[in-house]
Amino acid sequence: MDGSGETAPYLLYLLLINLVMIFLFWFTDLPQRIQLQRFASFVRGKLYVLEEMEAGARRKAVAYLGTVGVREPSKVIEGFVDNFFFIWPVGIEPTDIIRRLRHLIRTRESSVRDYVKRVLDSAERSVQYSVETVLEVVSVLRLLNKLVRHYLELGLKYNNLILLQYLVFQMPEIVEMARAYANSVDAFASGVPIGDGVGPLVAKMLVEWREPQREIVEGTDLYEVEVGGRRVYAIKASGPGSNVGWPGEALEKLVGELGGAVDRIITVDAALKLESEESGEVVYGTGAAIGDLGPEKIAIERIAESYSIPLDAILVKMSEAEALGPFTKKIYESVVKAYEMVRRTIVEKVKEGGTVVIVGVGNTVGIR
Amino acid sequence: MLSQQFDLLTVALLMALLMLLLAALVPWLLSVTRPKPKAVREEVVELVGCPVCGHEISRKYEKGDYVGKVVGTCPRGDGALVVKAIYVEKYESPK
Ligand SMILES: [Zn+2]
Repeated sequence: MDGSGETAPYLLYLLLINLVMIFLFWFTDLPQRIQLQRFASFVRGKLYVLEEMEAGARRKAVAYLGTVGVREPSKVIEGFVDNFFFIWPVGIEPTDIIRRLRHLIRTRESSVRDYVKRVLDSAERSVQYSVETVLEVVSVLRLLNKLVRHYLELGLKYNNLILLQYLVFQMPEIVEMARAYANSVDAFASGVPIGDGVGPLVAKMLVEWREPQREIVEGTDLYEVEVGGRRVYAIKASGPGSNVGWPGEALEKLVGELGGAVDRIITVDAALKLESEESGEVVYGTGAAIGDLGPEKIAIERIAESYSIPLDAILVKMSEAEALGPFTKKIYESVVKAYEMVRRTIVEKVKEGGTVVIVGVGNTVGIR
Repeated sequence: MLSQQFDLLTVALLMALLMLLLAALVPWLLSVTRPKPKAVREEVVELVGCPVCGHEISRKYEKGDYVGKVVGTCPRGDGALVVKAIYVEKYESPK
């Protein structure tokens, strides 16, 4: 029993430490505070990565603007990134919301165009379009970083654990999206077609790579060919600069000119795949395959409806990184599949002598 | 009896140390056992062909080329050679 005298103090200390721990962990906010700091430091680490990406994209953009003859490229980028925001029209009065939205989109587009024209006096239009896109990409990255920093600082300011936790769980997706955008600068600057260009490429294949017949609306070309005895009109954005054109307006004008004598409209576009889906899957369905803010899509739907023209959609599935990055071989192979599907649809669903309009929706960078 | 108490503490300390070491080693162990991604070489290629006769070759992408650009005349006829597609080809480099 002479050992117990020596053991007792240790046990007492242990007990005491235990009690203090229990108190700290059960009756104070200490664990949450520690967790908050851990979340915050995780977000800070990722934010550092995001800012590196933005800086990298900016460097590439400066280099690109330099090669196309812009004086003081970094000033031009600085003057662009925080400006040219877009205020969504009032939604509780929906009668003419599409018209207002369309007006605002066109206004913004033309003021961006004017800004680029001012700094880029003697360049051709495809270069001008690509410069616009590169500036837009840098400003998307800037906005993303500002938002992440905003929520981080807000969370720390009000000790909002839930907000920070949410941010932590969102971070991998945000970083992946930012990486897709940051890498897209290379594609836009070098003029290599990107995944989003499947629609324009299908249209180009269908017209056998010939030159457009005419520019039907600004930045949007019209082609006319014959496929198996059917008259085929193809609409795509004018390339090879980075441009999506106005496919809805173009279709509206074309169908109007033809007096509604169209037997079928087929839209082809890239679509974001679900996580479980395979990249490059080609699927078909009904509706307008286009991912704009609304005006172009509704124009397609309205013109199809007012003349009762069946509206088909063909989609090529891919991830965001693939949509914004250069064509991979897999995506190219699925373009060939989509092209075959369009041809099959024309031959099977339109009688000989009929008229079909194909709308190749998407960014036409690197495709004339 | 002193040695026994000493043992109790030492064992507890050693256990704690072991746990810490394990916790520190787990990420390293995971990274070592994960298979390494194969080295991949990427090259931008373009398909150049004649829409009239179907003659087609694939070659290295040249800066400034775009789909639909006329880059010559067909060696098999008098059609034009155009760039039909541009994409990234991946090669697994043996290493
Ligand atoms: Zn030939």
